[in-house]
Amino acid sequence: METGSNEPKSRYLQYLEMVTGPLEDKRRYRQYKARIKQLPQNYRTAAEALERYLLLLGPADGAAAMAMYEDLTDLFERSAADGTPIRDIFGEDPVEFVEAFVANYPVGQWRSRERNRFTSAVARAAGEDPAREDKTER
Amino acid sequence: MGKQLTEMLKGTLEGIVLATLSGRPAYGYEITAWLREQGFSDIAEGTIYALLVRIEQRGLVDVEKVPSEKGPPRKVYSLNAQGREYLEEFWRTWSFLAERLEQLREGGK
Repeated sequence: METGSNEPKSRYLQYLEMVTGPLEDKRRYRQYKARIKQLPQNYRTAAEALERYLLLLGPADGAAAMAMYEDLTDLFERSAADGTPIRDIFGEDPVEFVEAFVANYPVGQWRSRERNRFTSAVARAAGEDPAREDKTER
Repeated sequence: MGKQLTEMLKGTLEGIVLATLSGRPAYGYEITAWLREQGFSDIAEGTIYALLVRIEQRGLVDVEKVPSEKGPPRKVYSLNAQGREYLEEFWRTWSFLAERLEQLREGGK
């Protein structure tokens, strides 16, 4: 089922997505999985390890997460074509790489909510007007 | 590359990459290879990639997709007006920091 991104969705699709989450994201996720499967074995192993890390500790959700996975797939496809050794992609500290990478994408809802709450709490504690502190969204 | 150099590089790598791009447009692999030749021997392709994603999102570079003989198209990055402005600010900041550190070193003798 192709959902053209600009045309309005039918009531049925709107209802379905309320239940299942956006279908567009699911389609992009399937495409991402298919691209990962095409990679040479060692790149694929690394990509799947990275995916596990991101699912557990990654900051983003929904469409933002898909952009993140797609950008990573671009990196792996390009590196495989160039024959870049795995260690040259990740460096000595793979966690450092992945954290620098995920910092580029918007945080997921609960993290964003907690950051706002924390920022407002500090503003109140400092005797400021917390209303003007609602700027924590990256 | 020592741990200290890695730490110091973190704050300056963005400026280094923008300065590299001010000479001529380049793709990620080229930038990494060039930096390695310049003595940043342990720099990771992924680190440069993460940085390129960031400067693209912030609108400091223009990106052109160029077909490659093998594999997916390469993204070629070139510095735009906003990027040049940002690079100038980077050099001003760098001069400030370098001057202050030099003063500290001389004062410490």
